[in-house]
Amino acid sequence: MMWGRLAACCGLVGRPLTAILAVLVLSTSLPAQTIPYQRPVDTAPQEKTIGGGYQTPPVQKPLPRSSWLQLLDVAVLAAAMGISSWLVLKRRSRKALVALAIGSVAYFGFYREGCICPIGSIQNVAVALTDPRYSIPMVVTATFFLPLVMAIFFGRAFCGGVCALGAMQELVLLKPVQVPRRLDRALGLLKYAYLGLVLFFALKPAAARDFVICRFDPFVGFFRRTGAPHMLLIGGAFLLAGMFIGRPYCRYLCPYGGLLAWCTRLARRGVTITPDKELDCGLCADACPYGAIENMRAVRRNCLYCARCYAACPRDGELARAKAQLVQLP
Amino acid sequence: MTEHFTRRDLFHKAARGTVLATLGGGAGFLVKKAHGQVVWQVDASRCLNSRLGEVGVPACNLCTTECVVSLSAVRAVNEHSRCGRCNICPAYFNITSAVDERGLPSEKLCPRDAITRRPIGKADPEDPANNFYEYLIDEEKCDGCGKCVIQCKEPLGLGSIVLRIRYNRCVDCNRCAISRACPKGALVQVPVERAVS
Repeated sequence: MMWGRLAACCGLVGRPLTAILAVLVLSTSLPAQTIPYQRPVDTAPQEKTIGGGYQTPPVQKPLPRSSWLQLLDVAVLAAAMGISSWLVLKRRSRKALVALAIGSVAYFGFYREGCICPIGSIQNVAVALTDPRYSIPMVVTATFFLPLVMAIFFGRAFCGGVCALGAMQELVLLKPVQVPRRLDRALGLLKYAYLGLVLFFALKPAAARDFVICRFDPFVGFFRRTGAPHMLLIGGAFLLAGMFIGRPYCRYLCPYGGLLAWCTRLARRGVTITPDKELDCGLCADACPYGAIENMRAVRRNCLYCARCYAACPRDGELARAKAQLVQLP
Repeated sequence: MTEHFTRRDLFHKAARGTVLATLGGGAGFLVKKAHGQVVWQVDASRCLNSRLGEVGVPACNLCTTECVVSLSAVRAVNEHSRCGRCNICPAYFNITSAVDERGLPSEKLCPRDAITRRPIGKADPEDPANNFYEYLIDEEKCDGCGKCVIQCKEPLGLGSIVLRIRYNRCVDCNRCAISRACPKGALVQVPVERAVS
């Protein structure tokens, strides 16, 4: 049945007359049920053939995020880390830090949908360093190195209120319980095992390569408001546990946290408990949900810049005034 | 509190300098071999739906089901310059459905009703079969199931409908979840200029 083909041929050649003829001929032989279809044309008719002043509509081409917006992400990351360290080391303000955390969850989490993040960039950097045929854009390089350089000078300012995953857990931690120190230390080794696993999968040959951190990111499903059910469940479990256990992902699994902890050992500045002003009341140690205050001293590699210790200090105001006399602690 | 410059300070300074130099070296190495942005793209020559072959086999809809964002970042695009503008478009109509009084198939193919059809050019009211039609795919409705793509290719269509990635939805995963599932490896990373030009 040549119905469609004829119709289109008519369209291309002298139209009205042949068309009417075709319809007259074909109307008698129209099938009752379906049209055995044949392609009516062999070439696409263009604007001239179509006539009537028709203009081909442009094809929609949603563009990728433009490069200046990607640079903006890096700038926001750097600025947020600067603000975080200033709020914690100078202002010593828990309230302002919570505000920063909310802002970070909004920007890096819900607006940027959790991508790109320094945690995931471990894999890209590792692959780019080892595979000569793999390279990464400069934005990824900057995202990976900025928080590390920051940690060498000012400690884990990134973890405090900048990292969207950390900030999210910081905000849900409502009833902190202390994890027994030995258990805390043992679980803390998990993140290095995870880092090893991540590198093992990332450094495989290109065909078998896998980016484990991204696949098992617990909160990215929430940021994107969609995701595999098992990942949403795991994320929900982390948030639920995170209401009582301070930041379970950051302390026990985050491989980037492991790298930051190493860099932080060399930090010039860090959260300080002032020995000459303190009451030895231990309120700060009780308030720290991360076990980062031992013997009334801040343990920098574990300190996640939440500023809870300052908020719990009965001499908060005085401490703020006494900041000129702060003692550097190892 | 007097300022002492102790051995510990010296050690710290040296260690910090070493680590900084290492980080700087690593970053420098990466920047030196850095490239521009790369993006994911559907390679039409490999995609099962747009590849030449059997028509009428069920469409591969992995692009719809595997993508990590809720409405898939892959959607069908009608390249108008290659479109035959047929009266009975096999991608718009379900051409196996019964014919209605206008002589057109009664059912549409798209499960999400994302394609619109309108007559264009010099209209001939006497004979609608003789007119040209424009088929527009509503980007916000399309979820990239590929049903239309598989119909609009030889022998029925001209292959003007292809699967493309909408970069405003794509979150540019390290290893695209669709590429992981695609049996033909049709999702590839290309430089951004090649993908959008």
